[in-house]
Amino acid sequence: MSLFSLADVTFDVPGRRLIDHLSLEIAEGAVTALVGRNGSGKSTLLKLIAGQNRPTLGQISHAGRALADWPPRELARRIAYLPQVTPVAEGIRLAELVALGRYPWRGALGRFRPEDHAAVTGAMQRCGLDSLADRLVDTLSGGERQRGWIAMMLAQGARTLLLDEPTSALDIAHQVEVLGLVQAMSRETGLSAVIVLHDVNLAARYCDRVVALDGGRLALEGPVRDLMTPEALARVYGLPMEVATRSGYPFAVPL
Amino acid sequence: MKIALTAVVLALGLWTFAALSLLPLADWPGLPWRVDSLGIDQILLTHGLMPRGVVALLAGACLGLAGALMQAVLRNPLADPTTLGTAAGAQLALVAATIFAPALLANGALPVALAGALAVTLPVLAIGARRGFAPVTVTIAGMLAGMLCAAVATALTLAQGHYLLSLVIWNGGALSQQDWTGARNLGLAFLPALALAALLARPLMVLSLGAEAARGLGLSLAPLRAAAILLAVALSAMVSAEVGLVGFVGLAAPAIARAMGARSLLARLLVAPLAGALVLGPADSALLAVAALGGPSLPTGALTGLIGGPLLLWLLPRMAAQVPPGTEAGDALSRRSAYPGRVLALLLLGVVALSLLTLFGGRGPEGWGFIPAELRGTFLPLRATAITAALAAGALLAGSGAVLQRLTANPMAAPEVLGVTGGAALGYAATVFLVSAPGPLALALGAGLGGALALAALTALALRADLAPARLLLAGLAIGALASSVLAAIMASSDPRAWMVLGWLAGSTAQVTPTGAAVLAALALVFLAALIAAARWLEILPLGAPVSRALGLPLTPLRLALILGAGLATGTASLLVGPVSFVGLMAPQLARSLGLVRAASFVTGSWLIGALLMCVAAFGARTATFPYDLPLGLVATLVGAPWLFLTLLRRTAA
Repeated sequence: MSLFSLADVTFDVPGRRLIDHLSLEIAEGAVTALVGRNGSGKSTLLKLIAGQNRPTLGQISHAGRALADWPPRELARRIAYLPQVTPVAEGIRLAELVALGRYPWRGALGRFRPEDHAAVTGAMQRCGLDSLADRLVDTLSGGERQRGWIAMMLAQGARTLLLDEPTSALDIAHQVEVLGLVQAMSRETGLSAVIVLHDVNLAARYCDRVVALDGGRLALEGPVRDLMTPEALARVYGLPMEVATRSGYPFAVPL
Repeated sequence: MKIALTAVVLALGLWTFAALSLLPLADWPGLPWRVDSLGIDQILLTHGLMPRGVVALLAGACLGLAGALMQAVLRNPLADPTTLGTAAGAQLALVAATIFAPALLANGALPVALAGALAVTLPVLAIGARRGFAPVTVTIAGMLAGMLCAAVATALTLAQGHYLLSLVIWNGGALSQQDWTGARNLGLAFLPALALAALLARPLMVLSLGAEAARGLGLSLAPLRAAAILLAVALSAMVSAEVGLVGFVGLAAPAIARAMGARSLLARLLVAPLAGALVLGPADSALLAVAALGGPSLPTGALTGLIGGPLLLWLLPRMAAQVPPGTEAGDALSRRSAYPGRVLALLLLGVVALSLLTLFGGRGPEGWGFIPAELRGTFLPLRATAITAALAAGALLAGSGAVLQRLTANPMAAPEVLGVTGGAALGYAATVFLVSAPGPLALALGAGLGGALALAALTALALRADLAPARLLLAGLAIGALASSVLAAIMASSDPRAWMVLGWLAGSTAQVTPTGAAVLAALALVFLAALIAAARWLEILPLGAPVSRALGLPLTPLRLALILGAGLATGTASLLVGPVSFVGLMAPQLARSLGLVRAASFVTGSWLIGALLMCVAAFGARTATFPYDLPLGLVATLVGAPWLFLTLLRRTAA
């Protein structure tokens, strides 16, 4: 069964159509890159499958059940979403932020159990944040803060991560760190992820599959190597590019 | 252009109708109009109606220009002399001068009005400057400052009795004239101001790209901002001095100018005065015509307020695209308490100790001291009732404030802003006027119903998906503005029953029964329990809608429930303390500065601090002018507001 399946999905905002009759299956257990030009509808599509927005027309289902039919907390136990701009977490310590990820499991009043504490500690360890647990989130560096939010998503215990340009504010070392973390977790535990990315080379290096959009329509869908040809890149970005391979990974440069 | 023509025809037609019903055209005097050779009706025409028509146009033009300048320099489509508190500051200065130092007015009202306008606008803008002139925050600060000024002016009016009824009428913005000096003064001020505004157009255009881009283009921001603000404030003060409080024309005019096709900033600066004249002209002529038909003579400012409230609501969704993202961010916290439990315990101790102290201690005929044993049986139950009610009202207001600040992630959110209290005031006024000799129960029901209606309107707005919490606050302010303009019209009707409403507006614990106090206290405790139960929600909500939704929060029902809860708590408390007290804004701010950050300790701390503040206010209200009680809400406002503004100024943006 596919992770997400979209049937003839359209999303309009007043005066504009952002997603145009899109039908698509997104595979489970893989890291999928969501690419396309600015304004092609990448972030919009991610918000739709995260249940943040409801499609104007058409149907989106997760694990065979329409998104609208999932109770919010049950859905949050399966899907974790990170917006493009992470909000200011005023006066919250890192450990407390990560612990907010347990809300879908415990609700407003439920007591924290040993497994909740274990999930929080485990998520922080996985992201290499143990030593920062008592720091205020506001005082962390950009890379640390981004990892903190990803740790919150891991504590959520969701098997699917949806990340909207998680690397846009990070230097190359932190970009590699964040994407490497997602890739490793997918390889080790079969986690699924959908990541909006601008950099095709990072997509080629760290993702398994690719969905490319153009003007709200599907331009390309398949294994990520399908994107890394001059023809496909020209179709998606409208730019002549050259593709070469080094150390087993393809990379593209504009001509 | 069609709107403009219609407005011109409307204004001229209505004015001519009013003038002709005063005096047939055949009797109109020829120039020169010499008072000694004219009849009474002829004088009323040449020195009353004619200058009034001109003053309406000129005052509208001045306000339109002031609004356009403020909106351009603050990059805020909601800025105008009303929403920045400028007009209310001028009004308060004039009321105070009339009562305490009438000699100041000997050289004309303008210097006094200007001083008052500046004294309020500058702190509001200083608060704005600390927060990158974020539109919502600046508007909330300005409207709160305006409410504060209005509350103080109300109290002064109340204290001075009927002598000030003419001032109350002026507060409502009456344009009636006795000669041509008003028209001449406004004309002499307007034309140079228009020329100056045209000179500022190009630098303002550069500023419209944003502060950083403008600095990059070599613009020095401070002199430009100062010049434009000073000009706008001077124009607004001029209008205040000549005709009184005329609200929202400055807000409407630039929007109308844009609708009339004025795209560029220079065009908007030139067309906005025209639009302002075309708003105020027909409005005033319509009132003249109503009066000519034998209807009541209503103040023009009340009418523009009636237009202004809905206009603000209409502008809100349109504003969304113009607010640069990230400018509405909250404040950086100075510190976080390591032992929130101890802070809360100390606060609780403080509340208990202060309640007992003010219960037994106080001021009697023999001066300060504890109440003698033989009087305890008589006075303690009375005092206990008043103190319980004050504690509960403070706690309810503070709890609502804490919820709203968490819900909107805006430290300026306050229950006063919700419009609930304005609705309650309207309900109270309606009961006073519609029911003959209403009892306390009827009055409470009326106020409760009014508050509930305002809350329902607000909830309907909140249900619209595009209305973010920050704009919800502005919607509340708009409802409040609407209510206060109706109240102003009621006050201006010079009906003796208006004094009853005025008295309630200032707030008093004197009429609370023991049962009422017990019910309030029970409500406050239930509210606290609900807040603590909702703590985990209140922790997540400030992180914004996407994160809240991603964590599975039922966002729409949750927001509705919190707004309803806060609205009901505010409405109940304001039955006792009147519409404005600022406790709901102050207490959460204090809780933050004590380092109470996590949701549970934040709401509990706010609740306790609110009770504490109101207990202090109740003591002050009882003792300051012994044996007479001062209005509770007024004391709370006077104690809290200056301190609040200082706190807001000190805290710097993240």
